[in-house]
Amino acid sequence: MKARPVKKLDPTRSLGENAARIIQVRLDEMRSFAPKALDGKAKAQHDMRIAAKRVRYVLEATGFCFGRPADTARRRARDLQDILGEIHDCEVMMPRVRAHLDQLQRVDAEAVRTKAGDAPDLDPRLAAQARHRTAYRGLDLLSVYLEARRRLLFDRFEAFWRRQEETGTWTRLERAVNRYLHRTREARRTVKAAERARLQAEAAERAARRAEAQSKRARLDRERAGASSDDLPGHRPEKSTQR
Amino acid sequence: MAKAKPIPDLSADGAYADAAARIVEVRTGELVEHAQGVLDTGDIERVHDMRVATRRLRAALEIFEPCFPVKSHRQALAEVKRLADGLGERRDRDVAIASLHAFNDQMAAPDRRGVDSLIERLRAEQEEANVALTPLVEEANLRALREGLQELTREARSVAA
Repeated sequence: MKARPVKKLDPTRSLGENAARIIQVRLDEMRSFAPKALDGKAKAQHDMRIAAKRVRYVLEATGFCFGRPADTARRRARDLQDILGEIHDCEVMMPRVRAHLDQLQRVDAEAVRTKAGDAPDLDPRLAAQARHRTAYRGLDLLSVYLEARRRLLFDRFEAFWRRQEETGTWTRLERAVNRYLHRTREARRTVKAAERARLQAEAAERAARRAEAQSKRARLDRERAGASSDDLPGHRPEKSTQR
Repeated sequence: MAKAKPIPDLSADGAYADAAARIVEVRTGELVEHAQGVLDTGDIERVHDMRVATRRLRAALEIFEPCFPVKSHRQALAEVKRLADGLGERRDRDVAIASLHAFNDQMAAPDRRGVDSLIERLRAEQEEANVALTPLVEEANLRALREGLQELTREARSVAA
């Protein structure tokens, strides 16, 4: 089963933020198989086992970022993986046992037929002496055992999943991860707001400096203008009359 | 099952790419450490431990995928998967044989023959799986895998820097 892609992963951002995004997707993926898996669909149970494995390993590597809910979810994902793994093992073994039994019986049937030679009909005593006859029962018992075990494990799986839903194992992890992302977004917003405020303060300071410079220039211009009108030809500076 | 080694100095606020380098480095070391005696069918836990180590490494490569260059990441992941598949083939037979023995031990003696014949067949498959696994766990192959993964961690560190 191919893993769902995780969007918005960014190598330049923090481990916690990226891990939170991965866990959101992996958790959702695992839970999405529950309805069909609980309905007894082998394919969904297999996919759910793979998804549980992904949840388990991402939590093993990054769970420390999200505290106790991640630790609990990691252990429960491992338990889920184990139960579904054992169901899978039964499902893989059952056809193997049947195929092995079929093969032994086919070999025996051929041998019994050969022994009958040109007889007009088959003597049942030949079948009673078939080479593998004592092997059939053990394999039949094994088939019964595997089928019964698969059912027992499925009941355990149902009860286990219900218990996790009731105790909120996955929901608590989901909330912890969402809280982490919310905090990260808030922190980023705060940093951005502070940066905006800093830029605005700097702009205001620059404007104030410009205004001060302008007024200084204006004052100088006025002073210069005053000085140059004194130098105009025909202009006689007032003499101070000293009496 | 061997517990995962702790990763030193990992922090939630640390850079994702830096964590990628640290984790892949430690998980690669674990994988190589568990290769010893893996072909010994008398101790099936060795294959199990190495298989778990490949799972952890594969998980790390998948979790941190964006921190690595696409081509070398794909190549390393395929190599680790090939090794994991080889170990998986062996492990499946190991587990099946062990569970069939456990079942047979509880059966009456006349009922054991059929399951014994199935175990015999699985033993032959276990041997075939071991032959297929041999080149994958050879020192030269593991060294090449390790070097490829070291290159990846260097790339991740340069992204983090």
